[in-house]
Amino acid sequence: MLIQAILLGLVGVVGVIDSRLIGRQNIGRPLILSTLAGLALGDLRTGIILGASLELISMGFVAIGAAGPPNMQFGSIIATAFVILSGATTETALTIAIPVAVIGEFMSVIMRIIIAQFSHVADAAIEAGNYARAKHIHIWWSFTLNAFIYFVPIFLTVYLGTGIVETLVNAIPEVVTNGLTVAGNLLSALGFAMLLSTMLSRKLFPYFLFGFLVVAYSGLDLIGLTLFACILAFILDKVSYGRGEGVQNG
Amino acid sequence: MDNRDQGIQNEMITKKDLRHLFLRSWTIMCSWNYERQMHMGFMYGMAPILDKLYKNKPEERKEAYRRHMEFFNCTPQMTGFIMGLAASMEEQNAKAEDDSFQAESISMVKTSLMGPFAGIGDSFFQGTLRIITFGIGLSFAQQGSVLGPILAVLLFAVPSILLGYYGTVLGYESGNKYLAKLYQEGIMDRVMQFASIVGLAVVGGMVASMVTITTPLTFTTGGTELVLQDMLDSIFPKLLPLIFTLGIYSLIQKKVNTNLLLLGIVICGIILGAFGIL
Repeated sequence: MLIQAILLGLVGVVGVIDSRLIGRQNIGRPLILSTLAGLALGDLRTGIILGASLELISMGFVAIGAAGPPNMQFGSIIATAFVILSGATTETALTIAIPVAVIGEFMSVIMRIIIAQFSHVADAAIEAGNYARAKHIHIWWSFTLNAFIYFVPIFLTVYLGTGIVETLVNAIPEVVTNGLTVAGNLLSALGFAMLLSTMLSRKLFPYFLFGFLVVAYSGLDLIGLTLFACILAFILDKVSYGRGEGVQNG
Repeated sequence: MDNRDQGIQNEMITKKDLRHLFLRSWTIMCSWNYERQMHMGFMYGMAPILDKLYKNKPEERKEAYRRHMEFFNCTPQMTGFIMGLAASMEEQNAKAEDDSFQAESISMVKTSLMGPFAGIGDSFFQGTLRIITFGIGLSFAQQGSVLGPILAVLLFAVPSILLGYYGTVLGYESGNKYLAKLYQEGIMDRVMQFASIVGLAVVGGMVASMVTITTPLTFTTGGTELVLQDMLDSIFPKLLPLIFTLGIYSLIQKKVNTNLLLLGIVICGIILGAFGIL
């Protein structure tokens, strides 16, 4: 079981490599990860078929922006492992997989907060002229942490069995999970605030507010907003420079 | 002047640099975090080019590194184009006589492009290409054929990689071709105004769509339950994200230490979340 647990943990790392190192070529999708998990356990066919049904379920799940969807990377590997190892049905496997996905998401939230701390170390390294260190933080520290966060829950679940995982999930108080989610959301406000501190001035504030209000009130997507903003910028360009020199008036 | 020109020749960005830039753009999400998202990835991608361009200018080099540590978020496949464009602007900044190039325009161009590019990229790569290619793969996989996962990966990866690479080259070349012209004709101020209006509007839109802060508070008055968030939504939707972003912004303007700020926000978040206020 030890070797199988390690192999499945490594399949989780393949999912990490896909999104972190090779620009999300979708090797981390359930179809592929389940296939690899099946391959690791010596039952490729079951892996592929299970992967197909998990892929169908999660077709609409894509991580965009700060809000993550249900973590199907953990889910598909664990579900495949339990179908092949214990002969469980797909439905049972999914119910087992869900607590693992919860733990996985929980750990990911903490991880993304820790990496925000890494970025401050990188800021300091750049100030000190130590550019190599800043690059290492991005590529090595962050990747290692990512891989660790994916490897460990999968490894432990397969190695120890599901009973312990469920106990663990129930042991995390809901207030802590809620609090961390809120903290994560507040941190994305910090990210935008830092961006604004380099762009915003009193003179330019109305344009920020323009974009905010348009999206807040209409729910327009960013492409639509950009088109409207271009029209606004075009009009203001005519206002500011329209009668000046360097413009063909006729 | 001759020496200077010679130096510039040696600093030019080559095809090989662009290939590296493209490969590095793949790691854009490696250090994704809640604070500035893909910012370190952008810095990592630009790093070799910055090292080359500012080899003998330590202050400008540091300034450039700082510039690329700002917030960034985009579809990985689309960042190559933005990085290529940024590289061509950095090159012109490095070549320019003192201060004749406004380095802030690099940040402005980055921020005004990332939103719409993410919109196009996410809907094309994840919304269309993935659905089609994985749909084809699925039909084989349901029969248990190993062709399923293999086809799904290949059909997706080939266009994704090609578009990413040619996007990077295109970004660099269009920057090179048009930006120099804009400077010569003295209309960079206009471009700056245009880019800052669009850029700030897009950031405003991103605050509204990507910062999710809501309150679960409810009040009971006269037997009816009032959900505070519903009331806020009907008066001023997304008010909480706006208040928090601008509040934190004003703290940054007051030079509050960002580490302290980060810690404070995490603690506040946990407390407010635990008491059911947010």
